[in-house]
Amino acid sequence: MLSLRVHGRGGQGVKVASRILGTAAFLEGFYVQDFPLYGAERRGAPIAAFVHISEDPIMERGVISDPDMVVVMDETLLQDAGAKPLSGLRTNGVVLINTSRTPEEVTADHGVEAQVVTLDMTKMSLTMLGESILSTPAGSAAAGIVGIGEEYLKEAAERVLAGILSEGEGLDENVKLALSVFRAVTPLDIKTVEAPPEASPVIIVSFEPAQISSPTINALGNSPLRRTGNWRVFRPVWNHKVCTKCMACLARCPDGCISLDEEGFPCVDYENCKGCLICVRACPAEGIEKVREAQVL
Amino acid sequence: MKRDMLTGNAAAAWGVRLAEVDYVPAYPITPQTEIIETLAKWISDGMMDARFVSMDSEHSMITAAGAASATGARTFTATSSQGLLYGFEMIYTVAGWRVPLVMVNVSRGLSSPLTLEPDHNDIFAIRDSGFLQIHCETCQEVLDSIILAYRLAEDEQVLLPVMVNMDGFYLSFTREPVEIPDPEEVREFLPPYRPKHAFFMASRPMAQGVAVLGGSAYSYFKYQMHLASLKALEVYGEICAEFEKKFHRGYGPVEGYMLEDAEYALVMAGSFSTLGKKAVKRARDRGIRAGLLKLRLLRPFPEAYIRRALEGKRAVSVLDQNISVGKGGILYSEVASCLFNSKKKPVLLSFIGGLGGKNISPQEFEFIFEKMIEAFEGGPSGPHLLYTEKEWDDISILKRTAEKEGDA
Amino acid sequence: MKEEPIKSFRDIPGDEVIFSGTPACAGCGGLLTLRHCLKALGDRIVIVNAACCFTLLAIYPLTPFRNSWLYTAMASAPAGAQGVRDALDVLIEKGKLDSEEDLKVVVLTGDGSAYDMGLSSTSGALDRDLDFYYICYDNEAYGNTGFQKSGATPLGSKTATTPPGKRHPMGSELPKKDLFDIWKSHRPPYLATISPAYPLDLINKFRRAGQHRGPKLFISLVPCPPGWGTDPSRSVDLAKLSVETGVWALKEAVSGEVRHTVVPKRFKPVEEYLRGQGRFAHLFRPARQEETLMEIQERVDEYWRLHKLLL
Repeated sequence: MLSLRVHGRGGQGVKVASRILGTAAFLEGFYVQDFPLYGAERRGAPIAAFVHISEDPIMERGVISDPDMVVVMDETLLQDAGAKPLSGLRTNGVVLINTSRTPEEVTADHGVEAQVVTLDMTKMSLTMLGESILSTPAGSAAAGIVGIGEEYLKEAAERVLAGILSEGEGLDENVKLALSVFRAVTPLDIKTVEAPPEASPVIIVSFEPAQISSPTINALGNSPLRRTGNWRVFRPVWNHKVCTKCMACLARCPDGCISLDEEGFPCVDYENCKGCLICVRACPAEGIEKVREAQVL
Repeated sequence: MKRDMLTGNAAAAWGVRLAEVDYVPAYPITPQTEIIETLAKWISDGMMDARFVSMDSEHSMITAAGAASATGARTFTATSSQGLLYGFEMIYTVAGWRVPLVMVNVSRGLSSPLTLEPDHNDIFAIRDSGFLQIHCETCQEVLDSIILAYRLAEDEQVLLPVMVNMDGFYLSFTREPVEIPDPEEVREFLPPYRPKHAFFMASRPMAQGVAVLGGSAYSYFKYQMHLASLKALEVYGEICAEFEKKFHRGYGPVEGYMLEDAEYALVMAGSFSTLGKKAVKRARDRGIRAGLLKLRLLRPFPEAYIRRALEGKRAVSVLDQNISVGKGGILYSEVASCLFNSKKKPVLLSFIGGLGGKNISPQEFEFIFEKMIEAFEGGPSGPHLLYTEKEWDDISILKRTAEKEGDA
Repeated sequence: MKEEPIKSFRDIPGDEVIFSGTPACAGCGGLLTLRHCLKALGDRIVIVNAACCFTLLAIYPLTPFRNSWLYTAMASAPAGAQGVRDALDVLIEKGKLDSEEDLKVVVLTGDGSAYDMGLSSTSGALDRDLDFYYICYDNEAYGNTGFQKSGATPLGSKTATTPPGKRHPMGSELPKKDLFDIWKSHRPPYLATISPAYPLDLINKFRRAGQHRGPKLFISLVPCPPGWGTDPSRSVDLAKLSVETGVWALKEAVSGEVRHTVVPKRFKPVEEYLRGQGRFAHLFRPARQEETLMEIQERVDEYWRLHKLLL
């Protein structure tokens, strides 16, 4: 049995990616179990999906804590304390990451101890579809690496995406992208070793009075710790030569990420700017440019 | 201190007044309405320094009460059956907020079919919520339990809300002699509420009742509620000892009646325990070494007390005034689990009676003792649904009148 | 609160009361509205919240607020507000709390609670003349659960529970509830509609409202990128279009007397507003649903005719 975890952020198509893979494996004749784990519908929140593929009936339920393979659709999740996409990855496991960098660079940056496969899914999607749709490439690349047959991947992409897109809405282009990505990766023979379980013994829970144990927050305004700047695909960049200090961008930013510097020019908290780009459209002087986010925080 | 004839509802109102409650959001429902009417009158006349608000539903009422408690005010409200269940989600919410709200539930059978008379399905429906539960046998207990409840709820080691339960009609509308303690003495026993963990004030903002994502985080909060509830058993013991010293009335988590040397024991809760005690006396007159264990504190469940009281008995009958449809008596299951691992566990039987205020007659109590003796000698029977021949005849007449019977 | 109306973006209070780093979607029209409302109100407030997207603004252990917050349940935030307001009043009255510690109580809900489940508790609070603010951010569906139809969903909108199909090509077949009128019938001292694209109008409304004691209610139509099927960058533009086409009327009612605060000199056709949104795409492709489009336009025209602001 092969167990995969797919990590991304809400809105990136994690569920669809897992379903493309799951459906492809199902069509090829495997037993499959897949499910996404998410709470409230929200763009940007870390989301994971789980896929088991097996020749035998699958005796598993719930989240996969020790996957053979992990797909990381948003590389900023590698630093996200909440997401921990690589946790539990088995020895000799495979990590597929959506990034413009090389496997060596990623391994060096994040200390990844696994076989790393990189693919710039964002770029491929922008090139072929004109927008960043990650579900199709992520699901297709995973299918390719796992060794699913191309005809099954094609049919899976058509089935899954037909439920979301209609004809003329890009279904054909998405299927083309799926095949393109599928052919760009090499199938790997993934043979992992069951990793020794993390030594975390069961404890006796000790009593703490309500002053500590009630679900209240005494800290104030600490949400910037979430660093939602990780959500961006594009970042807004100001041109001070053109800026008239009209403050429209300040007024329009939903997250209040724009403030004024000492000279009265807008300055941005890039740690938390989500890249919605309302400011770009709001600037009457057209003084804000949208730039592809290459830097990872 | 004065002594007067008070209904259970009036006694409850006195408990609230002596506790010097700040806020009463209210909504009427039989059989608790007199509690809030009495409080409204006292507040209107200036005899009680508090604010009273008529709310638009029990769901809103419990929300307002919990929110006021979360703001730092000592708050009270009361409800019953349908009203309790209408606000059900807020019962869990307020307990999770860890605020010391005290409520009275006047127990009443649940619709459908609709009734006004008492049983314990309503109060037991909230047993999992985190609210502590105190059940009263007499009107005196009602008054005293409210004062105890605030002291218990507001204890820094506890900080969980408390529900004081009294049976509708048989306590709520029944008058008995009640001692009304001196306000100054109560003030000494119950200091003002000065929260350190939950309040709203401009100089110290806080976010309360926030969302939690992640199973282990949620589990932490729920486990701590459970541990606080268990801690409350210790605290209850301490404050009842203090209460007894001051007011000369003792209230353990359970009460044994002729239980020490008993061979056959009845387990009950609420006002019908009085009938149970009378039945025990009659059984003794017939030569049966009978006894009764009354449960007062239902949450936290006084596990060790119950086990100690019932171990070694020949047979025990749990008389449930509630029914879990498809399983049987709720208290029966709870008592059974507490005795299961005991090496000296008695034979345990289950009886259901008193639903919707149905009387439990001397014949039915005799039946219970008969079955216990049979069970000790030959093995358990039941669960038994208590109903007499006369009652069956009565309902047959009603059915025929409603044209529900086939050709007789 | 100052009584001078503000006239430019420079006059918008600079301090943020709600900080960044929330899990709200990029481009959330509701968040922009809330940001401006809180600038108007300041941080001496307690927000009482009903279940909606914004319930997740404060997730243990992070909160974006400098102010206090209480999450209640979906149906009863106004009842929670009643409890907090009364408790503060009685504690101050009894000398148990310094009057300097007083807070304004602000209910914050989405349209699901305001238009549907919370109507009962809101009516109760209005009936009792509760001194509080109510901010409803209306994205015209139950957003937090995946965009299902609510009482606020307008005619012809696709939602997860009114998907256009062969038998029911229109999407939602019922018109939007008129919450403004429902609330207005209780005659609260102040009631207004606002928009995230008109922050000056919004802040001035809060300033006028602050002069009244009792219920002060606000409804904001808010673009919702995932639910409306629109690009996050267009949220402010769409909010503007909703006003410019007459779909969203900016008005206030002081003790029941209605006055429109922003009236387009010439109304743009409603289609301009509908056409860019995924939730109305089925009205245009594969074929135009002329009847429905005309009905939507007609309803908008009818409203303005009734108020004598359209010939």
